[in-house]
Amino acid sequence: MPSHIIGATFDLPAVTSQARRPRRRPRWGRLLLIAAALVFLGLFLVLPLLVVFVQALGKGVVAYFGAISDPMAWEAIKLTLFVAATAVPLNLVFGVAAAWAIAKFEFRGKNTLITLIDLPFAVSPVIAGLIFILLFGAHGWFGGYLRAHHIRVVFALPGIVLATLFVTFPFIARELIPVMQAQGKADEESALSLGASGWQTFWRVTLPNIRWALLYGVLLCNARAMGEFGAVSVVSGHVRGLTNTMPLQVEILYNEYNHTAAFAVASLLAMLAMLTLAAKSFLEWRQPELRHAVLQPRDRTSREHT
Amino acid sequence: MSIALRSVAKQFGEFAAVENINLDVPTGALMALLGPSGCGKTTLLRIIAGLETPDEGQVLFDGRDATLWPVRDRKVGFVFQHYALFRHMTAFENVAFGLKVKPRRERPAAAEIRRKALSLLELVQLGWAGDRYPAQLSGGQRQRVALARALAVDPDVLLLDEPFGALDSQVRHELRRWLRRLHDELHFTSVFVTHDQQEAIEVADSIVVLNRGRIEQFGVPGEIYDLPASAFVHRFLGQVNELSVQLRQGRAHVGPLDISLGAVATSDEKSVALVRPHEIEIGPEAAGWPASVLAARVIGPIVRLLLCAEGQPVNEPLEAEISRERYETERFQAGTRVGLRFRRWKVYPSDGVELTPTTA
Repeated sequence: MPSHIIGATFDLPAVTSQARRPRRRPRWGRLLLIAAALVFLGLFLVLPLLVVFVQALGKGVVAYFGAISDPMAWEAIKLTLFVAATAVPLNLVFGVAAAWAIAKFEFRGKNTLITLIDLPFAVSPVIAGLIFILLFGAHGWFGGYLRAHHIRVVFALPGIVLATLFVTFPFIARELIPVMQAQGKADEESALSLGASGWQTFWRVTLPNIRWALLYGVLLCNARAMGEFGAVSVVSGHVRGLTNTMPLQVEILYNEYNHTAAFAVASLLAMLAMLTLAAKSFLEWRQPELRHAVLQPRDRTSREHT
Repeated sequence: MSIALRSVAKQFGEFAAVENINLDVPTGALMALLGPSGCGKTTLLRIIAGLETPDEGQVLFDGRDATLWPVRDRKVGFVFQHYALFRHMTAFENVAFGLKVKPRRERPAAAEIRRKALSLLELVQLGWAGDRYPAQLSGGQRQRVALARALAVDPDVLLLDEPFGALDSQVRHELRRWLRRLHDELHFTSVFVTHDQQEAIEVADSIVVLNRGRIEQFGVPGEIYDLPASAFVHRFLGQVNELSVQLRQGRAHVGPLDISLGAVATSDEKSVALVRPHEIEIGPEAAGWPASVLAARVIGPIVRLLLCAEGQPVNEPLEAEISRERYETERFQAGTRVGLRFRRWKVYPSDGVELTPTTA
């Protein structure tokens, strides 16, 4: 930040300040770079977002609300909320448990567990969906058993929840592991030495220490759970009013050239995304270390084995 | 409560942190575990606390086998090297934590918890800081909160891991004296870990010197300093001059000085004599090993002289200490010729002995 450097040199005597002042780029060069960045941002981020809202409201507010309150759209919204409300709490528990195990204990197979947590990031969502078809589909491994017991997994709600769970699994664990590793075990150990039980230690010491990172992970997990398309698309079967989540509903409406309705539903997802980003910025402002949490565990107080 | 360790061993992967440790800490003792980093002292402390389980051996509390007791049942107060205060709780809440987590039938009433936590904060002279968060306290203050927190559960044993390591020397000195006083008043059994020999000598009743996971020596502070059992202990406690020993006609020499007296067992060509700076006597040139003063450094009441003795390499000068008064009357300066004698020395076989304390 050049302005910062110049500001600092004001404290120095005039001569040194002249000598030390960094050579400034020509004015037009800077303007060109800034303009290029702004044009890029505008074209690839702001414009698409605007298009969503413009298209959604293209036929007026009445049409917009009509599209949203269409029974099929409403079912999709409810389904999406239900899936997120199921997948996020489950992954909250799994994520905390996995991060706790990885950060606070040494055990064989720890690296394998870390790799497994990352698997959903590495696998294409479509493949993730196919996995569940292969397992629970009519011709899948458990297909016969499920049919015999009249349990529907694929092309029904359980499949959608499972696929969403799979895809969003890493978010919370990934967010917590570096934070918990950086904090080390000393807090928990001192709680134990003071007579606290395992649960008391978790609720009173560990959880307060990770609350911001946890909230952050939940936020990201939720955004993905509501927005997931690929994996859910494979397992949902696209039964309107039954197994269509919001992203799937958008696709169907779009394919039917019902642009206003498609973009109206899409605008809801876009608003969710913006809300998530706002909340994320707020958390980063509250806890600046979250910004780098994934990249660099800070002041790691690794206990020396003496 | 007395603590005993019987043949305790612990490995971390390939690394043997402690091996075959036998140790008795009598009730009411204040014992220091002293050694360089990586010597196993913290591991030993954590084994006593129950934060680590030994691979072999037993931990006895008052003669009862406590090896597998969980941490929370040991009635041990542990003060961590970096205090490990709960950062989301105030100093008061930190101190009260141990009382609040007690099972309901043992837990004192809220008013009693409050009274006790406040009186402990008073005890560590932090009565005014109850509603401060750890981040708002200085290092020394955090250390005292950590102590008060550990004392809140009335431990039988107080374990401290490098308790003053991260503090500046003024605060450290004050806290050492304070800990000693606290121990004398409250009569619990304490064990603390340190790498600072000064601290061990100043605070502890007895010292265990550890090296590479084994006990090198156990004794009272004066004894360990004056009668080191090994070259390692000799080097680790205080300053030493190292001189290689020459054998001539069955007698051991350092320069022209005959040191056979202290080298009874020496028949080894490669022996080394260790002499502390204050054990070197400085007299007229004719009365000893001729040497010249290279430099003098005044350190408060004492003066350290760097000396080059005849036949010794210039880049390995000897260090000697004299009193400030003597320095001022005799006016030693660079180039002054003197004669050296040793008041005390000790000879060790040099093989199988590390020349420098190990570091992890």
